[in-house]
Amino acid sequence: MRYDETELRVRFNEVDSWGMVWHGHYISWFEVGRMALLGKFHLLPQDFTQMGYIAPVVDLKCVFKEPARLDEEMLVRTTVLKPTKAALTFRFEVLRKSDRKLMAAGEETQVLLTLDGRMLYIIPQDLRQRLQPLFDYLEEPDSSA
Amino acid sequence: MPDDLVLELKKLIIATLKLEEVTPEDIADDGQLFGTGLGLDSIDALELVVALEKTYGVAIPDSEVGERVFRSVNTLAQFVKEQRTKSN
Repeated sequence: MRYDETELRVRFNEVDSWGMVWHGHYISWFEVGRMALLGKFHLLPQDFTQMGYIAPVVDLKCVFKEPARLDEEMLVRTTVLKPTKAALTFRFEVLRKSDRKLMAAGEETQVLLTLDGRMLYIIPQDLRQRLQPLFDYLEEPDSSA
Repeated sequence: MPDDLVLELKKLIIATLKLEEVTPEDIADDGQLFGTGLGLDSIDALELVVALEKTYGVAIPDSEVGERVFRSVNTLAQFVKEQRTKSN
């Protein structure tokens, strides 16, 4: 499974009074990774809305391995599991760029709703077709691992 | 409605959702599956939809249909029976 990678640098406002990144910010970093990956395939939130869907997060997990610190460069690695039900599950890794040490890892699951609030139990064909290039890309071997 | 289908569906629900502490006898035929009652949630619905499609070939496309179908094991059994009759 391939992970897409994007970079960021720890900002002053992300560090707590103990000198380490506050745990909630890793979730924002997951979002950076998600947007970078989905943007490549025109699957950003506005693209979903244009198709008539929204995809709220219903489950979120995160484990924290090492504390990231101010001004460190991070790699946010993102992938999406091929769906076995009408939900999209993203997996994330945050690595310190200098030594590729795993700092945090997580997973988020999104379900699909129509704009009028119906939850979809089957991924519609139009969305399947839009998602396929993303899954084709992620099936390629991960050369950055 | 055949009792064996109701029992079969209860076993499917328990197995699919890995409800380790629940037996078929714990699930009332007319009891609510979602919210109160068995306490299933929307993610459970997605898992059940896949299992129902694999086991009985029935499709439940969204929550609008799901609200009616998943009201209880009885309504679910009725839906499966109706779909089977249509495809025959």
